[in-house]
Amino acid sequence: MEEKEKKKHRAKHSGPKAEKKRKRYLNDLGIGDEEDARKRNPKAFTVQSAVRMARTFHRTQDLKTKKHHIPVVDRTPLEPPPVVVVVMGPPKVGKSTLIRCLIKNFTRQKLVEIRGPVTIVSGKKRRLTIIECGCDINTMIDLAKVADLVLMLIDASFGFEMETFEFLNICQVHGFPKIMGVLTHLDTFKNNKQLKKTKKKLKHRFWTEVYPGAKLFYLSGMVHGEYQKQEIHNLGRFISVMKFRPLTWQTSHPYVLADRMEELTNPEEVRINPKCDRKISLYGYLRGAHLKNKSQVHMPGVGDFTVSDVGFLPDPCALPEQQKKRSLNEKEKLVYAPLSGVGGIVYDKDAVYIDLGGSHAHEKEEEEVRPNHQLVQSLISTHSAIDVKMASSKVSLFRDSRPIGSEDIGQGFVMPKEEREIDLKTGRVRRKAVFEEEEKENDDALSDEEDNQEEEAAAMSEDGSDEDDEGDAEEESDREEEMAVWRAKRLKTEVTKEQAMSELPAFADSDDDLEMSSEGEGKTDLEEDEVEEYDDEEEEEEQRTYENESSDSEFEAMSKRVAESKQCVIKSVDREIGSQISDHSQKRKAGLTTDSGNCTAEEASESEVENSSLDEGGDEEGSHDESDVEESNSKGSQYAQAKKADGVRRTKLKAVEADDDVENLLREEEEYEEKVDLSADTTGALKWKEDLTQKAAEAFLRQQRSTPNLRKLVYGTALEDEEHESEDAADELGGLFRVSRPDKASRQKANDLDCSKFLIEKPQDWDLEEVMSSIRDCFVTGKWEDDKDAAKLLEEDEELYGDFEDLETGVVHKGKPAAEGDESGSEEGEDGKMSKPEPEEEEKKKERMDKKRKLKEMFDAEYDEGDATYFDDLKEEMHKQAQLNRTEFEDQDDETRVQYEGFRPGMYIRIEIENVPCEFVLNFDPHYPVILGGLGNSEGNVGYVQLRLKKHRWYKKILKTRDPLILSLGWRRFQTIPMFYIEDHNGRHRLLKYTPQHMHCGAAFWGPITPQGTGFLAVQSVSGITPDFRIAATGVVLDLDKSITIVKKLKLTGFPFKIFKNTCFIKGMFNSALEVAKFEGAAIRTVSGIRGQIKKALRAPVGAFRATFEDKLLMSDIVFVRTWYPVSIPTFYNPVTSLLKPAGEKDSWSGMKTTGQLRHERGIKVKQNKDSLYKPIVREKRHFNKLHIPKALQKALPFKNKPKNLEKKGKTPKDQWRPAVIREPHEKKISALLSALSTVNNYKIRKAKVKHREQLKEYLKVKQKEDEQKFKRQKEAKKKIYRILGQREKKRQKSSLKGSSKGEKSM
Amino acid sequence: DFEASFIRLIDKVTNGSRIEINQTGTTLYYQPGLLYGGSLEHDCSPSRSIGYYLESLLCLAPFMKHPLKIVLRGVTNDQVDPSVDVLKATALPLLKRFGIDGESLEIKINRRGMPPKGGGEVVFTCPLRKVLQPIQFTDPGKIKRIRGTAYSVRVSPQMANRMVESARSILNKFLPDIYIYTDHMKGVSSGKSPGFGMCLTAETINGTILSAELASNPQGQGTAVLPEELGQNCAKLLLEEVYRGGCVDSTNQSLALLLMTLGQRDVSKVLLGPLSPYTIEFLRHLRSFFQIMFKIETKNPEEEHMGGEKVLMTCVGTGFSNLSKTIR
Repeated sequence: MEEKEKKKHRAKHSGPKAEKKRKRYLNDLGIGDEEDARKRNPKAFTVQSAVRMARTFHRTQDLKTKKHHIPVVDRTPLEPPPVVVVVMGPPKVGKSTLIRCLIKNFTRQKLVEIRGPVTIVSGKKRRLTIIECGCDINTMIDLAKVADLVLMLIDASFGFEMETFEFLNICQVHGFPKIMGVLTHLDTFKNNKQLKKTKKKLKHRFWTEVYPGAKLFYLSGMVHGEYQKQEIHNLGRFISVMKFRPLTWQTSHPYVLADRMEELTNPEEVRINPKCDRKISLYGYLRGAHLKNKSQVHMPGVGDFTVSDVGFLPDPCALPEQQKKRSLNEKEKLVYAPLSGVGGIVYDKDAVYIDLGGSHAHEKEEEEVRPNHQLVQSLISTHSAIDVKMASSKVSLFRDSRPIGSEDIGQGFVMPKEEREIDLKTGRVRRKAVFEEEEKENDDALSDEEDNQEEEAAAMSEDGSDEDDEGDAEEESDREEEMAVWRAKRLKTEVTKEQAMSELPAFADSDDDLEMSSEGEGKTDLEEDEVEEYDDEEEEEEQRTYENESSDSEFEAMSKRVAESKQCVIKSVDREIGSQISDHSQKRKAGLTTDSGNCTAEEASESEVENSSLDEGGDEEGSHDESDVEESNSKGSQYAQAKKADGVRRTKLKAVEADDDVENLLREEEEYEEKVDLSADTTGALKWKEDLTQKAAEAFLRQQRSTPNLRKLVYGTALEDEEHESEDAADELGGLFRVSRPDKASRQKANDLDCSKFLIEKPQDWDLEEVMSSIRDCFVTGKWEDDKDAAKLLEEDEELYGDFEDLETGVVHKGKPAAEGDESGSEEGEDGKMSKPEPEEEEKKKERMDKKRKLKEMFDAEYDEGDATYFDDLKEEMHKQAQLNRTEFEDQDDETRVQYEGFRPGMYIRIEIENVPCEFVLNFDPHYPVILGGLGNSEGNVGYVQLRLKKHRWYKKILKTRDPLILSLGWRRFQTIPMFYIEDHNGRHRLLKYTPQHMHCGAAFWGPITPQGTGFLAVQSVSGITPDFRIAATGVVLDLDKSITIVKKLKLTGFPFKIFKNTCFIKGMFNSALEVAKFEGAAIRTVSGIRGQIKKALRAPVGAFRATFEDKLLMSDIVFVRTWYPVSIPTFYNPVTSLLKPAGEKDSWSGMKTTGQLRHERGIKVKQNKDSLYKPIVREKRHFNKLHIPKALQKALPFKNKPKNLEKKGKTPKDQWRPAVIREPHEKKISALLSALSTVNNYKIRKAKVKHREQLKEYLKVKQKEDEQKFKRQKEAKKKIYRILGQREKKRQKSSLKGSSKGEKSM
Repeated sequence: DFEASFIRLIDKVTNGSRIEINQTGTTLYYQPGLLYGGSLEHDCSPSRSIGYYLESLLCLAPFMKHPLKIVLRGVTNDQVDPSVDVLKATALPLLKRFGIDGESLEIKINRRGMPPKGGGEVVFTCPLRKVLQPIQFTDPGKIKRIRGTAYSVRVSPQMANRMVESARSILNKFLPDIYIYTDHMKGVSSGKSPGFGMCLTAETINGTILSAELASNPQGQGTAVLPEELGQNCAKLLLEEVYRGGCVDSTNQSLALLLMTLGQRDVSKVLLGPLSPYTIEFLRHLRSFFQIMFKIETKNPEEEHMGGEKVLMTCVGTGFSNLSKTIR
């Protein structure tokens, strides 16, 4: 085997490794370069300039504070709505594929066609609503406003497209949601290097647009028409952990991205007029802020509407219940997309979606329940929660099939809607509409039925009150009877209506009888005195029954059977077994005999009697002892207590006051008080009882004070309502007509003085010691609460800091001996093993804990105080507020909560809207998003809005004033006519014809009122696809001033017709003297720049005036005055109704056209003003007159300047003419010769001159040289001389110095 | 009469309102305009006192376009409406709680005018706010001092002193820190009719201010009132007010509730004494205008001697913001 030659090791001579080695080597030798320069030469790095130091510090602080945002109250609810993920991109980039992949990733379900938003549960605490956004600019604008996260798909093989940039700009204007880029089509790159390069290029461009470091995702390729699983998974993870910043507009407005639309219009109306306005309901998660019922909303692409009704539904895509698990079950991975037809299948078990296919069986069940509820609700309109109930019951109304519902429901719903007028004293209430409607709809018999129902209601309530005596069986049975009746009614429907009617009275009668009998029993058993008490309690119980009813109606949501059984269970707790059995049997009976209500009623009443008798027999000692009865009542335990107290009081009173009348009165009062105020303080009540004469006033006062039904008092009562129902019935005359008396209360109110002063009807006697003591503690001088009392606090402090040693004196101070002893005692207790009772120990423990906590708090406060800044404080405050917002209504149930704070974001709600254009329904296309944007107060109004606007730098043209422009502002998209202006230095708003190129300008338009600071964008048209960038301008709302004045310049011209010195008369500027009078004193100017002023109107030519100038005018001058003419803003506001367009044409909305467009279309040329055409300029020659000097001036001039009066010599007269000389030939020759000679001579002389000059120059040169030399010599000589002189001088000086020194020494 | 004057005032304050009243004066059509504000003057009808006008201005003033500065002329104190003194003492501190404060929040009484002829003059200035702060105002605290003004115009200056004396005699049983100013106006600043009266305020350690007032019968109506009696009655009224308690004076309940309603979308809480009928009616209006319902809880004072029952009102604001305020 031949051994291969191994490569020799070669030491490295360059590179970092070699460098390191060398360094080590040098270090070992001890000559290596020393450590850091900073260490070596610390002085070089100390503070060199304090100023610079200060500046750097300043800068860092600036940067730090820049990071702070103004803290805002976090108003996100506990269970936030799904995050809106908008998948956006140009066509054919893979949006639908991505959505499909994401859905599959999260839910393991495959959606074939995606229409509208898809809501999925993506994690334990996060849901997503994914929606696709096409490249229609309308859609882009709408979705940018509701998006929380934008997935921006970019075709890497192509690069960025205009849509992407447009969308980015839209986002920027409407608050910047999170944006994540996704690069697709990366598999088209064959070359790896090319791919890398493209990625980098795109990434950097993306970063400049969004923000440096924005996330860009790469989807490398497709597998079987889907993206790679791992990549999608990663993307999903990214989405589900992403945090979002709150956007101002979104957090301050409620909005709904509707995922379902139903039409509710009456089909009959549609049949009659297919183009009638529709009524629709929209479903979706509420986001943003709280939504109130009856508030205004805007539907982008449709218009403004008022919400006619809102209700919340159970969440169709609920988050899983709290659990410890890490991941979700398959079951919990929900998907909900009704527009795509998904979710219905999953949810048809849910009661909300019974109207979906294949759920008829369930629907029937619902129906069965309904009538009873209707009855219960309509008859016993419970205590104040009726309004709350309405919301829920209404929802169910439309699920109901019509035939049964119509009459009952009509009754059930008109009634609570009614405005209720309540007298404060008597609590009298009228509800007119109910009956009127009945009258219209039904015949007399039916109204009779109503009567009966009324009576029944009264009876029922009374029945309820009888519970005390006879147990709860009665009420129970009553209800069953009702049910039976209703069931019967339902079965027979219209056919057996009359029968049912006849049944009802019978039933009612029996009921009455029954009641009578029950009362009779009561009478036999009880003393008279106590009967009265029963009455009291009856009334009390009424109240209670209402509460029961309310709870019942809550049960209504459940199936009836369950509810029944529950009631049964609850009520039969204290009942005897026998009675229970009877009850059950009775129930069975009631259930069986559905056919003949009459029979049932009778039977029921019989059984009732039996039952009651049984009950009574069973009850210990019947109802002799009041308290016993009360105890038997399991429900009203607290009432029982109250009554006990009451009873005690009563006995006391009896003892005190013998007079019967007084007693009766007293009792009445008590009744009253108890009715309104169950927990009234006894002392107060006692006190007031002393004065019987002031009863009425007091009753009023007490009502003010009454506790439980204050809310009812304020927001309409249901209780008093019912009480006086029977009275109302009595008012009826013959059933058909009603005596309509204006309410006493309302009359009184109308005549009352509206004064905020709270007058005191009956002041308390403040001289009495007792009364005085009642407010003793309101003053600082009174007793303080434990934790605030200064003395107590001091004591505690002593306990805490009791033990300390005075180090200086060495004295040990001990705390309070008592405390010490206690502690030791407790120790002892521990030692002594249970020698002390436990509770005490616990108390001790608690005390100690308290102490510890206090100490810790104090420490915390001290410790934190150091770095707490204003910002921190603010943040803390906001946090507290947020906490309060969350917790305040937490314990309430949803229905009450909705009343207080409106529908909170995160709820799945159903919104009903009326008067929607039929096109919306007819041309409904689920691919286009339907958004309901809530409007704040007065945002539904239209007014003048001022903006700061800048033409977008990528938009190629400039914008013209008075050209219609489509703005996207707030929720809306609308076309309007803006006027551009710029503000001059003096605050004048000057109209601009065009927007400036690279500058902001103002714009004013007539449009919807939107809060200041809201961003907007403008586009010229939303239809079609233009190759250029579509966003024309962006900006922000500045002001909502109705009285803004935009002015444009107006020059009035006139011509002088008479010129004096500096004054002249000018005509042609004005048309009347009045106009002139208006402009008196105005500054005018000529074109040549002479300034002047308007003085006064002239009489002669109308509109002429006198003006003065700083100089004399010419007749040719043009005079003008500069004025400002206010421009009115055209009141044109046209919402873009793109959603009303037929499917497929939704992106072709075109509103008002610009004049330019119209001209272009029609081929109309602009008529040009002839004067503005360019012509060759012809300038006439200017002719100046001769200078004329006046004679006087001439005289004064000095002779030199005097114009010489040399008159032009006229033609010399002939006689003075000189004769012309005519030469002889000889003479001619001579002169020629002479001239030749002189020429020669001249030449000679010139030559000589030149020569001479030359010579002179030469000579001068020489001479200069000589001079220089001479000068040099002289200089040297001088030098010599001076040197000698200097030396001599020096010598002399030296000698003199020496001499002096010598002299000194000698001295 | 006073209604017409009030409508005229509203017209002055706003810009672009449309008001139509039919000939018989039975119907009124009102289309609100923009709250404009600015420097204004208004002659109030003497049939109601300035307090009547001022109360509504207090509600509107923070939401104007330009800061309001208005001179109101008329009756400053009468027996029906809350007087200017009371509003000055109670409403302004209340507004401050909502973040409406600053130098310019002020009510200045230049002249006093008593009914029936009036002749008083009040200057009210108020700054602007874009949004109001939510309040948590549930602890009234204990009363630490009682202040007040006893005024007398065109009567003997001794009247004021007599009122003070008698009021002190009652209040001194509760608190030593009492100071009641006597305000005797002379000459032009005393208005056109004679009269006297008194208003008392009780301030707690937490800044709650409760008030009570009483004025003499106007000249020529009713019997003459003894100043001692008036002082005593006024003091008793204050005690009554204290008994009712709450963090807000009974006259200002509605103002507090309105400002809570107009606040940001946060929870506001306030503890009130028993609701006055006016407030109850006001609450109904609030519901019909803003769809705002208050959570109303009654609170019994835990201790014996803390006065009557209190009502805890809670609501979520509507998120109202002043749209007319210009931003730069």
